[in-house]
Amino acid sequence: MDELKSLEQIPIPEGLEERLSKKIDEWEREEKQTARRILLPRALRYTAVAASIALVFGVGFHYLRQNEPVNLAEQDTYQDPVKAQQEAERALNLLALNLNKGMGHLERAKALSEKTEQTLNEQLKALK
Amino acid sequence: MIKALFCTVLAMVSFTANAQVKAFEKYADMKDVTYVFISKYMLGLASKNATPSIPKVDINTLKNKLTGIQIIHSEKKGMRKKLKSDVQEILDRDKYEVLMQVKEDNNNVNIFHCVNKRQSAVVMLVEEDSGITAIVFSGKFNIEDVMKMVQE
Repeated sequence: MDELKSLEQIPIPEGLEERLSKKIDEWEREEKQTARRILLPRALRYTAVAASIALVFGVGFHYLRQNEPVNLAEQDTYQDPVKAQQEAERALNLLALNLNKGMGHLERAKALSEKTEQTLNEQLKALK
Repeated sequence: MIKALFCTVLAMVSFTANAQVKAFEKYADMKDVTYVFISKYMLGLASKNATPSIPKVDINTLKNKLTGIQIIHSEKKGMRKKLKSDVQEILDRDKYEVLMQVKEDNNNVNIFHCVNKRQSAVVMLVEEDSGITAIVFSGKFNIEDVMKMVQE
Protein backbone atom coordinates (compact mmCIF):
# COMPACT_ATOMS: atom_id res chain seq x y z
CA MET A 1 0.00 0.00 0.00
CA ASP A 2 2.83 2.28 0.91
CA GLU A 3 4.53 1.38 -2.33
CA LEU A 4 1.46 2.41 -4.33
CA LYS A 5 1.30 5.72 -2.54
CA SER A 6 4.97 6.32 -3.25
CA LEU A 7 4.39 5.46 -6.93
CA GLU A 8 1.51 7.95 -7.14
CA GLN A 9 3.80 10.63 -5.85
CA ILE A 10 6.26 10.20 -8.72
CA PRO A 11 5.82 13.23 -11.01
CA ILE A 12 4.54 12.45 -14.54
CA PRO A 13 6.94 13.78 -17.18
CA GLU A 14 5.60 16.55 -19.41
CA GLY A 15 4.11 15.45 -22.78
CA LEU A 16 4.05 11.76 -21.78
CA GLU A 17 0.36 11.45 -22.63
CA GLU A 18 0.89 12.97 -26.08
CA ARG A 19 3.89 10.72 -26.75
CA LEU A 20 1.95 7.67 -25.62
CA SER A 21 -1.05 8.38 -27.85
CA LYS A 22 1.33 9.05 -30.77
CA LYS A 23 2.96 5.68 -30.18
CA ILE A 24 -0.43 3.96 -29.97
CA ASP A 25 -1.47 5.55 -33.29
CA GLU A 26 1.78 4.39 -34.84
CA TRP A 27 1.20 0.82 -33.63
CA GLU A 28 -2.33 0.90 -35.00
CA ARG A 29 -1.09 2.02 -38.39
CA GLU A 30 1.54 -0.71 -38.41
CA GLU A 31 -1.08 -3.28 -37.48
CA LYS A 32 -3.31 -2.22 -40.40
CA GLN A 33 -0.39 -2.44 -42.82
CA THR A 34 0.45 -5.96 -41.65
CA ALA A 35 -3.18 -6.99 -42.10
CA ARG A 36 -3.05 -5.69 -45.68
CA ARG A 37 0.16 -7.61 -46.25
CA ILE A 38 -1.52 -10.78 -45.01
CA LEU A 39 -4.35 -10.41 -47.60
CA LEU A 40 -2.02 -10.83 -50.55
CA PRO A 41 -0.56 -14.15 -49.44
CA ARG A 42 -4.14 -15.35 -48.87
CA ALA A 43 -5.04 -14.62 -52.52
CA LEU A 44 -1.84 -16.29 -53.55
CA ARG A 45 -2.75 -19.28 -51.44
CA TYR A 46 -6.11 -19.62 -53.25
CA THR A 47 -4.40 -19.38 -56.61
CA ALA A 48 -1.88 -22.00 -55.58
CA VAL A 49 -4.69 -24.31 -54.44
CA ALA A 50 -6.55 -23.77 -57.74
CA ALA A 51 -3.39 -24.37 -59.75
CA SER A 52 -2.67 -27.56 -57.80
CA ILE A 53 -6.21 -28.86 -58.39
CA ALA A 54 -5.92 -28.04 -62.10
CA LEU A 55 -2.55 -29.77 -62.25
CA VAL A 56 -3.85 -32.90 -60.52
CA PHE A 57 -6.87 -33.01 -62.85
CA GLY A 58 -4.67 -32.34 -65.85
CA VAL A 59 -2.21 -35.09 -65.07
CA GLY A 60 -5.04 -37.49 -64.22
CA PHE A 61 -6.92 -36.63 -67.41
CA HIS A 62 -3.76 -37.11 -69.45
CA TYR A 63 -3.12 -40.57 -67.95
CA LEU A 64 -6.75 -41.59 -68.36
CA ARG A 65 -6.68 -40.58 -72.01
CA GLN A 66 -3.53 -42.59 -72.57
CA ASN A 67 -5.40 -45.71 -71.53
CA GLU A 68 -8.41 -44.88 -73.73
CA PRO A 69 -8.58 -46.28 -77.27
CA VAL A 70 -7.22 -43.73 -79.77
CA ASN A 71 -9.91 -41.45 -81.20
CA LEU A 72 -9.45 -41.59 -84.96
CA ALA A 73 -11.25 -38.28 -85.45
CA GLU A 74 -8.65 -36.39 -83.49
CA GLN A 75 -5.77 -37.80 -85.45
CA ASP A 76 -4.41 -36.14 -88.54
CA THR A 77 -5.24 -38.27 -91.57
CA TYR A 78 -2.09 -37.23 -93.38
CA GLN A 79 1.33 -37.58 -91.83
CA ASP A 80 2.89 -35.79 -94.77
CA PRO A 81 2.35 -31.99 -94.53
CA VAL A 82 2.58 -31.59 -98.31
CA LYS A 83 -0.28 -34.06 -98.87
CA ALA A 84 -2.29 -32.38 -96.11
CA GLN A 85 -1.66 -29.03 -97.75
CA GLN A 86 -2.76 -30.34 -101.15
CA GLU A 87 -5.97 -31.76 -99.72
CA ALA A 88 -6.67 -28.55 -97.78
CA GLU A 89 -6.13 -26.46 -100.88
CA ARG A 90 -8.36 -28.75 -102.90
CA ALA A 91 -11.14 -28.33 -100.32
CA LEU A 92 -10.67 -24.56 -100.15
CA ASN A 93 -10.63 -24.28 -103.94
CA LEU A 94 -13.83 -26.31 -104.16
CA LEU A 95 -15.48 -23.94 -101.68
CA ALA A 96 -14.21 -20.93 -103.64
CA LEU A 97 -15.39 -22.47 -106.91
CA ASN A 98 -18.92 -23.05 -105.60
CA LEU A 99 -19.12 -19.64 -103.95
CA ASN A 100 -18.10 -18.06 -107.24
CA LYS A 101 -20.59 -20.20 -109.16
CA GLY A 102 -23.38 -18.93 -106.91
CA MET A 103 -22.21 -15.34 -107.08
CA GLY A 104 -21.90 -15.67 -110.90
CA HIS A 105 -25.56 -16.67 -111.15
CA LEU A 106 -26.43 -13.73 -108.90
CA GLU A 107 -24.50 -11.31 -111.11
CA ARG A 108 -26.22 -12.67 -114.22
CA ALA A 109 -29.63 -12.33 -112.56
CA LYS A 110 -28.75 -8.76 -111.57
CA ALA A 111 -27.67 -7.89 -115.10
CA LEU A 112 -30.86 -9.41 -116.52
CA SER A 113 -33.00 -7.48 -114.07
CA GLU A 114 -31.21 -4.23 -114.95
CA LYS A 115 -31.69 -4.92 -118.66
CA THR A 116 -35.40 -5.62 -118.18
CA GLU A 117 -35.79 -2.43 -116.16
CA GLN A 118 -34.04 -0.44 -118.87
CA THR A 119 -36.24 -1.89 -121.65
CA LEU A 120 -39.35 -1.22 -119.58
CA ASN A 121 -38.34 2.38 -119.00
CA GLU A 122 -37.67 2.85 -122.73
CA GLN A 123 -41.08 1.42 -123.61
CA LEU A 124 -42.77 3.66 -121.08
CA LYS A 125 -40.97 6.71 -122.48
CA ALA A 126 -42.04 5.76 -126.01
CA LEU A 127 -45.67 5.48 -124.86
CA LYS A 128 -45.57 8.97 -123.39
CA MET B 1 -13.17 -21.06 -52.82
CA ILE B 2 -15.23 -19.76 -55.75
CA LYS B 3 -12.03 -18.49 -57.34
CA ALA B 4 -10.43 -21.89 -56.92
CA LEU B 5 -13.45 -23.62 -58.49
CA PHE B 6 -13.46 -21.14 -61.37
CA CYS B 7 -9.77 -21.83 -62.01
CA THR B 8 -10.40 -25.57 -61.98
CA VAL B 9 -13.33 -25.33 -64.40
CA LEU B 10 -11.31 -23.07 -66.70
CA ALA B 11 -8.43 -25.50 -66.66
CA MET B 12 -10.76 -28.42 -67.42
CA VAL B 13 -12.41 -26.54 -70.31
CA SER B 14 -9.04 -25.73 -71.85
CA PHE B 15 -8.08 -29.39 -71.67
CA THR B 16 -11.19 -30.49 -73.55
CA ALA B 17 -11.28 -27.64 -76.11
CA ASN B 18 -10.96 -28.98 -79.63
CA ALA B 19 -10.05 -27.64 -83.01
CA GLN B 20 -12.69 -29.48 -84.99
CA VAL B 21 -16.45 -29.67 -85.06
CA LYS B 22 -17.17 -32.47 -82.58
CA ALA B 23 -20.53 -33.38 -84.08
CA PHE B 24 -18.84 -34.63 -87.26
CA GLU B 25 -16.26 -36.76 -85.47
CA LYS B 26 -18.55 -39.78 -85.37
CA TYR B 27 -17.88 -40.46 -89.06
CA ALA B 28 -14.21 -41.17 -88.35
CA ASP B 29 -14.79 -44.87 -87.78
CA MET B 30 -18.04 -45.39 -89.71
CA LYS B 31 -18.22 -48.11 -92.34
CA ASP B 32 -18.50 -47.00 -96.01
CA VAL B 33 -17.53 -43.45 -95.10
CA THR B 34 -14.19 -41.81 -95.84
CA TYR B 35 -13.17 -39.38 -93.14
CA VAL B 36 -10.27 -36.97 -93.51
CA PHE B 37 -9.09 -34.57 -90.82
CA ILE B 38 -6.43 -31.93 -91.37
CA SER B 39 -5.39 -30.14 -88.21
CA LYS B 40 -4.16 -26.58 -87.77
CA TYR B 41 -0.74 -28.05 -87.07
CA MET B 42 -0.64 -29.76 -90.46
CA LEU B 43 -2.03 -26.69 -92.20
CA GLY B 44 0.71 -24.61 -90.62
CA LEU B 45 3.52 -27.04 -91.44
CA ALA B 46 3.25 -26.70 -95.19
CA SER B 47 3.87 -23.61 -97.24
CA LYS B 48 1.81 -20.56 -96.26
CA ASN B 49 1.11 -19.59 -99.86
CA ALA B 50 -1.76 -21.63 -101.19
CA THR B 51 -2.17 -21.58 -104.94
CA PRO B 52 -5.81 -20.91 -105.86
CA SER B 53 -7.15 -22.61 -108.96
CA ILE B 54 -9.44 -19.63 -109.59
CA PRO B 55 -7.62 -16.43 -110.48
CA LYS B 56 -8.09 -13.31 -108.30
CA VAL B 57 -9.45 -15.38 -105.43
CA ASP B 58 -8.09 -14.97 -101.91
CA ILE B 59 -8.11 -18.31 -100.10
CA ASN B 60 -5.24 -17.45 -97.77
CA THR B 61 -7.27 -15.20 -95.44
CA LEU B 62 -9.59 -18.06 -94.55
CA LYS B 63 -6.86 -20.69 -94.64
CA ASN B 64 -4.75 -18.81 -92.10
CA LYS B 65 -7.68 -18.62 -89.68
CA LEU B 66 -8.63 -22.30 -89.90
CA THR B 67 -8.07 -24.67 -87.01
CA GLY B 68 -9.16 -27.76 -88.89
CA ILE B 69 -10.74 -29.22 -92.01
CA GLN B 70 -12.93 -32.34 -91.91
CA ILE B 71 -13.88 -34.10 -95.13
CA ILE B 72 -16.58 -36.76 -95.00
CA HIS B 73 -17.37 -38.68 -98.17
CA SER B 74 -19.52 -41.65 -99.08
CA GLU B 75 -20.35 -43.35 -102.34
CA LYS B 76 -22.64 -46.10 -101.03
CA LYS B 77 -26.29 -45.41 -101.82
CA GLY B 78 -27.71 -46.25 -98.41
CA MET B 79 -25.01 -44.34 -96.60
CA ARG B 80 -25.50 -41.27 -98.84
CA LYS B 81 -29.05 -40.86 -97.61
CA LYS B 82 -28.05 -41.40 -94.01
CA LEU B 83 -25.12 -39.00 -94.24
CA LYS B 84 -27.32 -36.32 -95.78
CA SER B 85 -29.99 -36.57 -93.09
CA ASP B 86 -27.34 -36.79 -90.35
CA VAL B 87 -25.58 -33.67 -91.57
CA GLN B 88 -28.89 -31.86 -91.92
CA GLU B 89 -29.74 -32.80 -88.34
CA ILE B 90 -26.41 -31.42 -87.07
CA LEU B 91 -26.91 -28.22 -89.06
CA ASP B 92 -30.43 -27.74 -87.68
CA ARG B 93 -29.41 -28.54 -84.10
CA ASP B 94 -26.39 -26.22 -84.11
CA LYS B 95 -28.39 -23.47 -85.86
CA TYR B 96 -26.35 -23.20 -89.04
CA GLU B 97 -27.58 -20.71 -91.62
CA VAL B 98 -27.71 -21.20 -95.38
CA LEU B 99 -25.02 -19.16 -97.11
CA MET B 100 -25.56 -20.38 -100.65
CA GLN B 101 -27.34 -23.06 -102.68
CA VAL B 102 -26.14 -23.96 -106.16
CA LYS B 103 -27.96 -26.55 -108.25
CA GLU B 104 -26.51 -27.44 -111.60
CA ASP B 105 -27.53 -30.52 -113.58
CA ASN B 106 -27.03 -33.42 -111.18
CA ASN B 107 -24.77 -31.45 -108.91
CA ASN B 108 -26.31 -29.96 -105.79
CA VAL B 109 -24.16 -27.78 -103.51
CA ASN B 110 -25.31 -26.29 -100.21
CA ILE B 111 -23.08 -24.04 -98.14
CA PHE B 112 -23.95 -23.36 -94.49
CA HIS B 113 -22.23 -21.25 -91.89
CA CYS B 114 -22.24 -20.83 -88.16
CA VAL B 115 -20.24 -17.92 -86.74
CA ASN B 116 -19.41 -18.04 -83.04
CA LYS B 117 -16.93 -16.28 -80.78
CA ARG B 118 -15.25 -19.51 -79.76
CA GLN B 119 -15.40 -21.38 -83.04
CA SER B 120 -16.92 -20.66 -86.43
CA ALA B 121 -17.66 -23.22 -89.10
CA VAL B 122 -18.58 -23.42 -92.76
CA VAL B 123 -20.10 -26.66 -94.00
CA MET B 124 -20.24 -27.43 -97.71
CA LEU B 125 -22.48 -30.33 -98.67
CA VAL B 126 -21.89 -31.56 -102.22
CA GLU B 127 -24.31 -34.09 -103.71
CA GLU B 128 -23.25 -35.67 -106.98
CA ASP B 129 -24.14 -38.80 -108.92
CA SER B 130 -20.95 -40.39 -107.70
CA GLY B 131 -21.53 -39.71 -104.02
CA ILE B 132 -21.99 -37.20 -101.26
CA THR B 133 -19.27 -35.07 -99.63
CA ALA B 134 -19.45 -32.84 -96.60
CA ILE B 135 -16.51 -30.52 -96.02
CA VAL B 136 -16.32 -28.77 -92.65
CA PHE B 137 -14.02 -25.78 -92.28
CA SER B 138 -13.62 -24.75 -88.65
CA GLY B 139 -11.69 -21.92 -87.04
CA LYS B 140 -11.90 -18.38 -85.79
CA PHE B 141 -13.18 -16.39 -88.75
CA ASN B 142 -16.13 -14.28 -89.83
CA ILE B 143 -18.34 -14.28 -92.88
CA GLU B 144 -16.23 -11.52 -94.53
CA ASP B 145 -13.23 -13.85 -94.49
CA VAL B 146 -15.32 -16.46 -96.34
CA MET B 147 -16.65 -13.96 -98.86
CA LYS B 148 -13.08 -12.92 -99.69
CA MET B 149 -13.04 -16.13 -101.70
CA VAL B 150 -15.43 -14.57 -104.19
CA GLN B 151 -13.70 -13.45 -107.38
CA GLU B 152 -13.03 -9.69 -107.52
